[in-house]
Amino acid sequence: MRLREIDRGDSIFNRLLIGLISLVSGMRLPDAARVAFYHKDFFSSPMGAWTQAAMRGPSAWSVGDRELMAALVAKWNSCDFCVGAHGAVAAKGIERSLVDTALADYRAAPISDGLKATLEFLEAMTLRPTELTAESAAVVFEAGVSAEALEDAIAVGAIFNIVTRYANALDFALPTANEFDRAASMLLKRGYA
Amino acid sequence: MTTSRPDHRALAGALRYRVLEGRGMSDHATRKAAADRAAGGPAMSVPYDDLANQIGECSHRVTDAQVEGVVQAAGSEKAAFEIIAAAAMGAGLVRWRLAVKALKEASDASAGN
Repeated sequence: MRLREIDRGDSIFNRLLIGLISLVSGMRLPDAARVAFYHKDFFSSPMGAWTQAAMRGPSAWSVGDRELMAALVAKWNSCDFCVGAHGAVAAKGIERSLVDTALADYRAAPISDGLKATLEFLEAMTLRPTELTAESAAVVFEAGVSAEALEDAIAVGAIFNIVTRYANALDFALPTANEFDRAASMLLKRGYA
Repeated sequence: MTTSRPDHRALAGALRYRVLEGRGMSDHATRKAAADRAAGGPAMSVPYDDLANQIGECSHRVTDAQVEGVVQAAGSEKAAFEIIAAAAMGAGLVRWRLAVKALKEASDASAGN
């Protein structure tokens, strides 16, 4: 974490809260949560509201599907923290071996054609956004994905193109695999808002 | 009770408005320039340009020196965080806009058939 104020908390209340959560959970509170407490009104409140809606709101996609999308956007943006965090949450709803296979090569993974086509769209959105055309979306429709479901996936893509960038810029500390798993359970219970 | 799908456009707009127009420690012009730069737009003044461009293009290569330079220039860690958040948001929302445009064009073409 490059900003000391985020690491320790920007108010006495937040410092105590960070300390208490770390003590009760038995692990260092992850940097993503520290950012969520920091300068709340400026960024984390509106960002949290959109993230909660996109990741947990009504959608044709399961929570596991959406967390897998987030983990792949993180991979494409070289954000190890987010790959670990969202891969771990995805694995609460999808078999861990399938999450790992999809992270390694989603095209070869045994996932639905619709999810595969959507991930291909999200990959282009992340890495080659100016190349997106109507045809890019039409291919996803032909795979059986509705316009509403594609918009939901696009929201996940946009959000994690934001999150991974500030996570990398702030140099989030990497928890252990066990800590990612415990944090994933907390994130599933608490959500993003 | 039925729950409707989220209004992603409104939520994205609320985020954009808050970060670029809302009160903060940094000035609005710098935040907007950082958001635009990370979205591929024009260069900013030093040292902001380095960091905003890096966040847009290749955020995992951001360095301690780039962040510290902006902390010094902006005057506080909070102001630097605002600029980092603005740049990250700019890179994300340009992708949102281009993707939604492709979706709308495909939907319109499909409805016309």
